[in-house]
Parts: sequence; structure tokens; C-alpha cells
Amino acid sequence: MVDTRRVLITGVSRFWGGQLVRRLEASREIERIVAVDTKAPTINLQRTDFVRADIRHSLIDKLLRALDIDTVVHAGLIVDPRRATARVVHETNVIGTMNLIAACSGADSPVRKLVVKSSTAIYGCEPDDPSFWSEAMTRKAPARDSFTRDLDEVEAYVHDFAVRKPAAVTTCLRFANVLGGAHSTPFSRFFDLPVVPTVLGFDPRLQFVHEEDAVSILEQAVTHDRPGVFNVAGSGIVLLSQVAALLGKRSAPILPFTGSSIALPIFNRATGTGFPPHLARLLQFGRVVDTARLQSQFGQLEWTTVGAVKEHARQRRLPAEVEEKPHMYESELEEFLRARRITSNGHGDEAPRRRSPRRPNPRSRARR
Amino acid sequence: MSVDPAAASNGAHPGGRSRSPRRTLNRLRAELPVTAMSATGTAAVRLRQLTGREIIDLASLQDAVAMGYHVAEVRRKHRGGDYQVDEFGFDRTWTEALIPLFRILYRRYWRVETTGMEVVPSHGPALLVSNHSGVLPLDGAMIEVAVFDETDRVPRALVASWFGGLPVLSWLLRRTGQTTGHPDDSVRLLRAGELVLVFPEGVRGTGKPFSERYRLRRFGRGGFAEVALRAGAPIIPISVVGAEEIYPMIADVQPLAKLIGMPYFPVTPTWPLLGPLGLIPLPSKWRIRFHPPVRTDQYGPDAADDPSLVMRISDEVRDTIQAGLVNELARRKGVFRG
Repeated sequence: MVDTRRVLITGVSRFWGGQLVRRLEASREIERIVAVDTKAPTINLQRTDFVRADIRHSLIDKLLRALDIDTVVHAGLIVDPRRATARVVHETNVIGTMNLIAACSGADSPVRKLVVKSSTAIYGCEPDDPSFWSEAMTRKAPARDSFTRDLDEVEAYVHDFAVRKPAAVTTCLRFANVLGGAHSTPFSRFFDLPVVPTVLGFDPRLQFVHEEDAVSILEQAVTHDRPGVFNVAGSGIVLLSQVAALLGKRSAPILPFTGSSIALPIFNRATGTGFPPHLARLLQFGRVVDTARLQSQFGQLEWTTVGAVKEHARQRRLPAEVEEKPHMYESELEEFLRARRITSNGHGDEAPRRRSPRRPNPRSRARR
Repeated sequence: MSVDPAAASNGAHPGGRSRSPRRTLNRLRAELPVTAMSATGTAAVRLRQLTGREIIDLASLQDAVAMGYHVAEVRRKHRGGDYQVDEFGFDRTWTEALIPLFRILYRRYWRVETTGMEVVPSHGPALLVSNHSGVLPLDGAMIEVAVFDETDRVPRALVASWFGGLPVLSWLLRRTGQTTGHPDDSVRLLRAGELVLVFPEGVRGTGKPFSERYRLRRFGRGGFAEVALRAGAPIIPISVVGAEEIYPMIADVQPLAKLIGMPYFPVTPTWPLLGPLGLIPLPSKWRIRFHPPVRTDQYGPDAADDPSLVMRISDEVRDTIQAGLVNELARRKGVFRG
């Protein structure tokens, strides 16, 4: 059992890293959390040290040694490249992972556990795919888009790490598409359209995982030892037409069944959905993964696939303000309390620095 | 002027409006199906008295009406999305609504005579293995109707994986319980206690020329026997006679088939000569024979890795089906009669 005490998390500015940090901050077992990202986190960090930096080998290497990090969580993969260019996505996903894992796999590296958030997109999406993908299967067709190609490389690095450091616990979590309400994903934006677009003559089997479940699985992988590769998806399946019905929407067969490389940019331009190419074929052929290994090691998820869709539909029926307000209020309250504490202590300018006392380089190293 | 409450309530009394034309119209509309049924029944009886023959078949008519109601019911349920399909995409209520359509083909069109149905278990797994013929895999649908009417179970047929790339069929086949012929799928279904229907000949069986009818092709590589051994499920061989004649294939235009990505492009006396009319299958007389099961549970799941045992079981099943074909052909009075 790896005694997880000091954790480094990548991708904290995005939903996954942010939510995971929030959970881990509540855990007393974990004495130090270091978050690394090129952008400022979107949530308020309580006791996490934030390092605004790119994942570069020399920097991460120093950071890991200096802070004696025992667990690294790589949640920084860009799976929803809405505004990033293909080159930035490739740099972040492949080169970032390479640097991170290189720093972790040194002979004298203190890292004992590596948790990587991957995606079920690695299985690809073809009409003659098996009905269920188990973790040991690999797709037969070559990757059709750059994201899937990148994912292959990412998982190859993770596999290399597991082979090179057999004593370390390596967990690779392949997540299905996430729904839930709080987090904007390609599918959540797709389902927000007034009618749900479908491909004429196709009604794919899909799987979703609720965002709460997804974060819980990540957390469990950090706090417990769960070595191996796991498919993460809500049990059961849902049909695309069924999702539309559950959302109370009509579906419209407006997507062509061939030539999505031409049709998708037009569709995205027209609707502003930002639906990435690696999900386009999913609307036609679907994908279902086998979650038996996940259930035996991690236990049952709270939401099934249909449950996640229903919960998503419920969240979407609420007016936007109902969900937003408590969050805004909380952050304002926090600022207020902090200001009060500072004035009462009389150490006005020391308090903010306490949030990141051992910041190696406070300046932004974001690559432009 | 004062308002009399009694008078006001009297005016709103439902009895006052019962004779309004709209009420009458609604009542008539609600009673329309019943009226139509009884009128048709009277007409059927009168026609039988006049001509001495069954002109209107009341049983089929009842089936059709029942199907209409069932479909309406399923559609209402599906509109809210609150239904469950299994992990393969099978929707049982939806399929049950569709079965009467195939039952008409089964009973009236091909007049299928089925024997040996008692070997199909009412619960627990079994692997149904059948010969395959008829250009379009309608033999699968007929076996499913036979098994459903006898045991109330929907067998899950394994289909070629290229169906997944075809519009409509890709979801229709899954919705009605079919899945791809991946070995993992069949083992998973059998372990879940389902009836699984396989055609080991695959497209080589459906795409063979008319001159080679009722001659079994190679049974794949015995994969079905491997699957049955792994799941410990009994194999039930099935011989289907009649499906070979529904689309007599006189030629196969391979270049055209390659072009559209199909395993064969059939030419029958009517297709593609008569266009869509050529899609109407011929009304041959069918016989389906279910043979006694071949048990596999005594070998244990590891026996699936023994190629000699796998091929022995495969050959045994193939011989049973071939012998059954010969036997049933001998019993059939003619291709269309009987």
C-alpha cells in the first residue's frame, strides 16, 4: 500500500483537476497538494499550492524531489479542444505527458503512484467494432483523428512507466463521456441544442459517466491502490434517441453518414457546439466498454448511464441562476472572511503568500 | 338582479350536455374500432356462407389490430425515453410489438411447419445452430418467431459485423436482439442465460447459388462449438428447409458487390429485373426441424482450447443438420405445396 501524503496534480485549471483538488483538500490524510497548470485554477484553492507553469521536465523533476511528492495525478489531458489548436493539444497531451512521466520514472524519483486520466476514445469507433471493449483489447483500425493518435502515445508512456517501475502503482483510467450538469462537455453542449442532431438511419449505443462519479473514481485511485487499466463508465447503455427523449427533445436526422470531416466544421460553425472530430463517429456507430473490472476493484458507481442522463436532464431543467448563485456567494464570502482575518491579525501582506510558500517560480511560464 | 345559484349549477350539469353533437361524435369515434371489428366479423361470416370459403381471415385480422394497439402503446412509452434496453441494445417490448408482422409471414406466407420444439429449454442458456440460406437472412426471423411462440423467449442471433455500418439495419437488428458475431458477445449472452442463434456458414450460406441449395458450406472454424464449450451451454442443431427457394440466386455480380461493400450482389429471376417487386420473396413451403441437444457441460470450459474436441463437436452438429435437411426435404410434398 502506497502511503499517499504528498500529491501533485496537473490540469487544475480545468474541471477535473479542480474538482479532484477540492475533494483531496477535504482529506486529512493528505498533507500537501501541489497543483500545476499554465492557467489559474477556476476554483478557490484552500490549502493547495498552485504552481503556474508548463509541464517541463526540469521543472517537474525539481518540484518532485524538493517536495518529496509520492503521488502524481495526471488529469491535464485536453479532451475537449474547443479553443486550443491541434498543435497546442498535441504539445499538452503528448509532450506534457512525456515530460511528466520522464520526471516520475527516474531511478531516485520519490514518486510511488501515478494516476492518469485517459479516455475510452482510445478504442476508436468503427462499424465492425466488438459490442464491448474490455481493457485488454486494442482497436484494429488506425487512428482516424489526432486526439486518438495522441492518446495512443500517452498510454504508451504510461505503460512504459508501469514496466520500468513495477514497484510503483500505476492507474490508467479510461473515462467515457461525462454528463452531469455542472461541467460543459462536447456532449452537454450537443444535447443543449434545441433538437438533437442524429445521423440518418443510425441510433448508436452510448455510455456516459456522471461527473461526480468520475471525480470519485479519480479520488479513489489517489487514496487507494488500484493498479491497472480501467474503463470508467456508468453501467448499462443508452441509445442516442433515448437520450433525446429523456431530455424531452426531438431528434433530427441532419448529420450525413459520410464525410464528417467536411460536415463537422460546418456544423460547429453553425451551432457553436465545438464538437470534436474524435466524437463525431460516436454519433453513428457508438461505443460500449466493459466495466466489470472497474466494478470489481472500485465498487459500484452511483449513477448508471441512464441515471447520469436523467440527472443531466434534471440539472438542465433548473434555471441557470439556481445552480450558479451558491457558488458565487461562497467565493465572495470566502474573500470577505479572508480580508477580515488579515486585518484582525495585522499581517496584511503575508496571508496571500502563505497559500504557496514554496513556489519555485512565481512568474508565469505559460507558453504562448 | 340576483343570481340564483341553483339555476347556475343546473346549467352546468353534465346531463344537460350529454346530447350535444360533439359528445355523440366522440362516443362514436371511441367505439369505432369495436364497430369496425364486429362489422368485419359479420361480413366474414356472410362471405363464408355465400362462397363456402374463408375470404376474410379473422385470426390474422385480430393479430393485425392487436399489433396496432401494441405499437401505439410502445410508441407512447418510448416518447418519454423511460425504457430500458439491455447492454446489447435489445428492446424486448419493442421487439414483441414487431413480431406479429413476422408471424403473418410465418403462418400464412411460408406456412412454416416446425417440429422438435420441445428441446428448446424454457430457461437457461442454449446455442441454436442452423443452416443459413435465402440471400436475405429471413430464416433467422422465422426461427425466432418459432422459438418465441413456443417458449416466450427471444433468441439472440449473431449477425455479420458489417451490418453495423448499414443505415437502419444497424439499429434495427440490435433493437430486436441481434448482436455481432464476436465470440465474446456469444459467451457473454450464454453466461447471462440467453438463447443464442448462430449460422456458422455465415454469408457463404446465404450467398450460395440456387444450384447448390441444401448443401452445407464449411461451418466456419468451429467457433460456435468453442463458444458453447466455454459457456457450458448445450448446442441445439436446427435444419431449415424452404428458405433456399425464397430468392433463387442464379448469379452473383461480384464487382458490383465490391463496389457497394456487400459480400455478394444477387441476381434472381425477378431481381434486379423487376426493381422493388423483385424483393418480394417466393412463397415456398418451409419446414423447421429442431434436433436433440448436444451437451457440452461435461467437458468444462478449458475444453474450448482443445481443437480436436472443438472440430469433433462442430462436425457432429454439421452432420446432424445435413441429415435433417435431407430428411425434411423428403417429407416436403413440393417446393410450394404441402
